[in-house]
Parts: sequence; structure tokens; C-alpha cells
Amino acid sequence: MSRQILVNAFDMNTPTHLVSGTWRDPSSRAADYKTLRYWTELAQLLERGLFDGLFIADVLGVYDVYGGTPDAALRGAVQVPVNDPLLLVPAMAHVTEHLGFGVTVSTGFEHPYPFARRISTLDHLTEGRIGWNIVTGYLNSGARNIGLDAQVAHDTRYDHADEYLDVLYKLWEASWEDDAVVRDVDRGVYVDPAKVHPIEHEGRWFRVPGIHLSEPSPQRTPLLYQAGASRRGKEFAAAHAEAVFLGAPTNAILEAQVAGLRAQAVAAGRDAYDIKVFSGYTVIVAETEREARAKHERYRALVDPEGALTLWSGWLGFDLSPYDLDDPLELVPNDAIQSTAETYGGGDWRVGDLVDRLSFGAGGPVAVGTPAQVADQIQAWLADSDADGLNLSHVVTPASYADFAELVVPELQRRGVYKTAYEPGTLRGKLFGRGPRLPATHRGASFRRSGVGAAA
Amino acid sequence: MSAVSRLRLNAFAMNCVSHIHHGQWVRPDTRQLEYASLDPWVELARLLERGRFDALFLADVVGTYDSFRGSRDTAVVEGLQIPVNDPSLLIPALAYATTDLGFAFTQSILQEQPFNFARRLSTLDHISGGRVGWNVVTSYLETAGRNLGFGGLPPHDERYERADEYLEVVYKLLEGSWEDDAVLRDVERRVYADPAKVHEIDHVGRYYDVVGPHLSEPSPQRTPVLFQAGSSERGRAFAARHAEAIFIAGRNPAGARAQIEDVRARAAQIGRDPGDILFYQGLSAIVGGTEEEARRKAAEIDAYASEDGYGAHMAGNLGIDLSALDFDAPIGELQTNGSQGLLQGLIEAAPDKTWRFGDLMRFVVDLRVVGTPEQVADQLQTWVDAGVNGLNLMYHTTPGSFADFVDGVVPVLQERGLVQREYAPGTLREKLRGDGAGARLNERHPAAGHRRARAAAVAR
Repeated sequence: MSRQILVNAFDMNTPTHLVSGTWRDPSSRAADYKTLRYWTELAQLLERGLFDGLFIADVLGVYDVYGGTPDAALRGAVQVPVNDPLLLVPAMAHVTEHLGFGVTVSTGFEHPYPFARRISTLDHLTEGRIGWNIVTGYLNSGARNIGLDAQVAHDTRYDHADEYLDVLYKLWEASWEDDAVVRDVDRGVYVDPAKVHPIEHEGRWFRVPGIHLSEPSPQRTPLLYQAGASRRGKEFAAAHAEAVFLGAPTNAILEAQVAGLRAQAVAAGRDAYDIKVFSGYTVIVAETEREARAKHERYRALVDPEGALTLWSGWLGFDLSPYDLDDPLELVPNDAIQSTAETYGGGDWRVGDLVDRLSFGAGGPVAVGTPAQVADQIQAWLADSDADGLNLSHVVTPASYADFAELVVPELQRRGVYKTAYEPGTLRGKLFGRGPRLPATHRGASFRRSGVGAAA
Repeated sequence: MSAVSRLRLNAFAMNCVSHIHHGQWVRPDTRQLEYASLDPWVELARLLERGRFDALFLADVVGTYDSFRGSRDTAVVEGLQIPVNDPSLLIPALAYATTDLGFAFTQSILQEQPFNFARRLSTLDHISGGRVGWNVVTSYLETAGRNLGFGGLPPHDERYERADEYLEVVYKLLEGSWEDDAVLRDVERRVYADPAKVHEIDHVGRYYDVVGPHLSEPSPQRTPVLFQAGSSERGRAFAARHAEAIFIAGRNPAGARAQIEDVRARAAQIGRDPGDILFYQGLSAIVGGTEEEARRKAAEIDAYASEDGYGAHMAGNLGIDLSALDFDAPIGELQTNGSQGLLQGLIEAAPDKTWRFGDLMRFVVDLRVVGTPEQVADQLQTWVDAGVNGLNLMYHTTPGSFADFVDGVVPVLQERGLVQREYAPGTLREKLRGDGAGARLNERHPAAGHRRARAAAVAR
């Protein structure tokens, strides 16, 4: 069987995720983000298209780098207002059976003890379909709201995140043995207390003496996603991530990133393919090439330049508002997103290119054409880069996902590179085909006591 | 039936195996073992909506009950609020499955920063169409404080000081950051929100510094309906200031009346209307087609009841190892950094009685009414006569206890005009108040002081 292409849909609990201005399209339901029905219908649509998951981005701050105020972000609804992502999952899980859910939560905002319980709860309620996208926070405007003057320096943030993960692994993997929950009705014993252990964590940032509050869930540790592409971020991903999102403007850059990541995974004692790589990707598809090009033009006309530059200013950590669209793109090293600057360095970029060429999918590739043309491009993109699948962002929601499900999926299925039915089991089980739990080679597994996690 | 006098119905539950009545989970006629799945919760919500319950009230703790016999083992064995999953994450699925039922959930102010939490509240209020309430608690379990990075449980009164500031931040975010007409959704001009009408809150306080702005646009209720359960001296002052609904555990109607009158007087003293606060009495009902059947059910419940479970629960509430005490000894002057209001409630119920530790252990077992639907309705009437506005119905088995109440007692109460036959339109706040005053907190509430002049004008 050919290597199967994985696909996540990429969305956010806000009117404008990555493409500014398209919430105004008559077919867009982006402004319905605060209703459950938008999300339950989207989840059902994705499940019909056999998407592996819905990945929900998040940010706990506002994009206020552009112009030094949140004004442009508010005007364009650029990731603000933004509601909580976790609270969408239970309703979507209720109306689906197989779709996975990746939720973004920063390690910088909630203490690991209650956060561990939130994730365990979601893993229980979804019957093992939850994934967590680990971010370490990258907007100063977020840090200021939890009593920090500015976010801690980039590398220190990852040290903090490493310890945060260690606390979580101890709670998820080591606190409750597999046979702790006995549910013995005759003896009136729900849990054997000898098999529930305090984690007694004492570290630089956290002291957590207690037991985990939730009993073991299907996956214990959720499927771990990561997106950091800086040097320190890659180290972190190589140690923790089971799935990584990479955004790259060219296949050569993506190929280098994928190869580097796989090598680092091996160096960390894991298999090169223990990390599934999802490449940021945008598809504009129609039955005919002419229709597809017309759709592309219609979408481009909707783009709001101010909103696009608001996003890029936030991502680059640099205020683009004083520049003309024809000015060369200034690259300023900044501990917010070093990696974005690295990725685009070296070319003759104008500021206006960020709007004209990179307003879809945060600058990732855009495939435009018939189902066959799009399928050709996707296959070539993945084959050349050795990535495992797509993190499919929308230009207009839910139309972009509906188009993909209705037109591209059948084409990929005909070519034998896309599943025709879901595998049974948890999200991790579906993606790796080796059970619900972390593999023994993963860092999280090292925290297990003998007898704990043996079901893996 | 006037809006104020009707009896409001909450179902009291928790995302765990054994909530209040311990030992019952082993029965074949309860679904407590399925707490970690969505289906039994969805079915419960639909049952409650059929019975025109006002809300499902979800308790929570972020620690373990480890005072009894000096360990948490009893709690763990009994499934006594451990394992315990997050309550707020049940609500989205239940809101999807219902149209009118409200959902109140508990979260301690020690759990997370108010900035994050305010967004969770707004999100829940948006996706439920304004049907959410928050039960504000300050934690009473030592282990909660230890595991959340506080070293231990902060002293009782300091927890309330922290809670006052926490609420102030939440009010500023929910009521004061976005004006009512900030969200324009103007497709032609390409303006979603008017930045001139979205404000930073610039809160600088003793415990929290929060710049803002709030990340969510205004939700139907803005601030969710505020529940509170504190009954200690400091807790009552806090509740009188902030609460719209208070959960009480009066030992008898006289005890309930004393607490209600006390808190209403405190509310009036600080400029609120005494009627601004609704009081919910915690009770269990054991209902039978005949009195004999009800008594037989009660005997069966008593046979399953776990004394250790009740003891460990009460010991954890108080932070005292009751197992080491003589049950016949008078309680006397007991010092606790845990739940002080429990003791005050006993004294108010019968000031002249010598309360003993055995009474404490049986405290919650005795909060029950037993009989035919008519007899249960008669007993509920005595609580209503004492000034109680609502019932927080505790289950022995789930959904059995709730189904018995919905199918047996609710029709009788409806016949007597004591409970609603249909839901009122609007948000949870509008449904509960029934006073036509709208979806938002009224102007007498301290949150209203954090509104911008313009926002307040529109809300009025």
C-alpha cells in the first residue's frame, strides 16, 4: 500500500485565523465561530471527508505589534475576539466517532496540575481522540495579563516548558497504575489506593506533591503536537512531539526541516518516523481550472492588507506599519518567532509580498486547480519533502474544507494514497497503528513505574 | 405564581463517581461508573430539561480528601470525589443537546489566572446561548493549595480577599472591556470591531496585574450567573456582595431561615436588594408511589451507605481527622482552616442543642425528604415557607434519583403552582429572575460599577 496522506484541518475559535478579510465572503461562516453549530457541522463535514483531525490554534493575547496597538487586529477580527479552544471539543466529540482534535494550549498560562486534568477529561470524553499542541507563548501582550512584564526569554521558556511536560508525564503516566481502578462492586472498592502514587515533583518552577486527579484515560498522554521551528524549538520537538506542524514557503526548505527533525528524533533515541510531519498547505479547487482560478481571484480580492500586515507583524515581532508596501522586508532577530525570519531570510522580499504572495496559509504553498491538478501538487510536495501530510488551512470556512472533502479526497482515494475508512482506536492508534499509549522510546514513557503503562 | 416565590430546581452532581452520598455507586441501578463518558450526562441533561429543572449544578474540587485516618485512602477506595474530572468540559456537549437547561459549574479562584478564566466563562456563555453560571469557590482542601503551587492552602480569610480581587478582575474584563456596540461586523467597511470601543482594563492589585483587553466579545449574559456557597462569617460577607444565588445546607428550615435572613440583611447593608439573591437548599428526595415504598427505598439506601465515605468527606471539609474523635463528644469550639460555615450552620439550626461529632458525620445523610410525591411536596413547602427559593437536589443514584423527582414530584409541584411548567425565554439569568430586568447583572451589583458609562446605559 502506498504511503497514506494525513490531513488535519486548521482552524481557530475566532473570525480571522490566517487569512484576513475573508470572513466577509457571503459563503463564510467564520463570524459564527461563537456558536456550537458552526463547530459541530464542521466536525461532521471533516469526518465525512475522513480528515484525521481538526487542529485548533489559539493565542492568549492580541496582535498589537502593528502600529503598537490592538486597533488593526480588532478592526479586522485578526485572532481577536478569540474564544477558548478546549470548550469546543466535547460538543464536536458528541457528534463524531473518529475525528481527532488537536487543541493549542500554552505552557505559560495555567498551572500543570489542573491542566493535566483538563486534558485527561477531554481524553475520557472523546474516548481517546485528543491531541495537545504544545506552545510556549509568543505574544508579549499575553504575558502582561498574567502578571509577567514580558515573556521570559526564548530559551528559558523552553526550559520551563520541559519541566511543565515532566510534571504532566508524571501525572498522566506514573500516578495511577493500569490496574489501579478495580471497580469492585462486591467489596465496595473503586480504586486500590496502593496503586495510586503521589508524584512528589520538586523542580525549579513547580512543586507538585500529589496524585493525578483523573483516572487513566485511553491515551493517558494526549497525542503531542508541536510547531516551534527555532533551534531550541526543534530540540523540544525532537524530545516530545509526535506530530509537528511545519510552515515552509518552498519544498527545499521543508525538505531540510523534515530531514533535520527526523535526524534529531533519532538522536533523541526515537525512530525517524515517530514524528508525523504536517505541512501547512492551502487548496483552492474546482471542477475546472478556469473555475479554480476565478475562485482564487475572488478570494484574493477579499484580502485585507492591514489585517495581513497585522498578522505578519505579530509573527515577526516587528512593526510593519511604518513601511511602504514596496520597502524591502526588514528582518529583525526577535525572540518571538526567530524561525519565521530565518525561513524567509535571503530573498528579495518587499513588505507588500507579505500581502500579495503570502496572505494565504501564513505563506505556505497554495495549490490551485482541478482535483487532479491539486492531487498532483500535493503528492509531489509530500514526496519531495518526506512530510507525512497536510495541515490544511482555509481561505473561506467551511467552503475550503468542503471543497477538499468533496473534490480532492475522492481523487486521492482513487490514487490509493488516502484512506477509504477510519481505523478503529484512539487518535494515536489511528496515526501510528501501535496502540493507544506513548511508545516506550518516548520521553514520557520513561516516567512510568514498572506496572504502569504496561498496556501500551 | 410569582417569579420570586417559585421554587427553582437544580440538580447537584459532579464529574466523579461518588459525589455526596457515598457507597451507592456499587448498586446496579445507578450509572455513576459511567461518569467519564458523555452519554449518561447527555441523557441526564435531557431528563432534567423534560422536568423543567433550571440548571445542572456541577461541583468540583482540585484536591483529595486526606484528613480521615490521616490519608486519602478512604476517598480513593470509595471513589469519593477522586478520580474527579473537569466539570466545565461537560457543558459544551450538554448545551448542544438541550435548549433551555442552565449549567452552573464550580471553579476555585486558586486554579488559574482570572485573565484565562474570564475567557472560558465568555466562551461557555457564547456557545450555550447565555445559559451558564459560575459557582465561585475558594477551596477548602489543603492538597489543592499544595498542588497548585501555593505551598499549602492560604488562610481562610485571605482566600476570600484574593477572591474579592479575582472577581474584580473578572468584572472588569467581562463588563468593562468591550462596549455593547463595539462589535460592528460591518462587511462593507471591512470592520469587525470598533477599536475605540474596546478597552484595556489596566488592573493593578495586590494579587493580580492584568492589562487586558478581554479576548472575547460580549456574550449574552456577559458575567455568568454567580453562585456561591460560603456560609462562614467571611464567606457570607463575600456572598452578600457578589452572589446572585447561594447554595445553603440548612440543617432544618429554621437553620435555613436564619442564614437567609442574615445574608439578605448583609446584602441590603451594602446597597443591594435583599431579593437580588436566591437561596438554594441542598436536599435529597427519596420518592415512592406509597409511603411504604419510599421507606423501603430509604432503607435500601441506608444499607448501601458507607459510613467511612461520609466520615472522610466531612473530615476533608473541615481538615480534621474525624476518625480519631469520639462521636459522642460535643463539638464545642472547633478551629478549622477548611469549611468554617458548616459549623456555623449547625449552631444556627438549633442554638441550644449540644452538637456532637456524630451529628457532623450524619449531617448530609439527614438532609433528605422521604415519602410519596405529595408528602415530599409538603415537606418542600416548609422550606419554601422558610424563605428558600430553590432546591439543590442531591442524588443517591443517578439518573434514578432525578428521574423519580421529575416523574413523581415535579407534576405535583407544578399542580401546586410551586415550580415552572415551561421555561421562560432568554438567558439563565432571565429565566431565574423572571423580573424582566434583562440578561445582564443589575445596577446594584458591584460588577456594574466596572462598566463604562456607555455600556451601562445600553444594558439598562
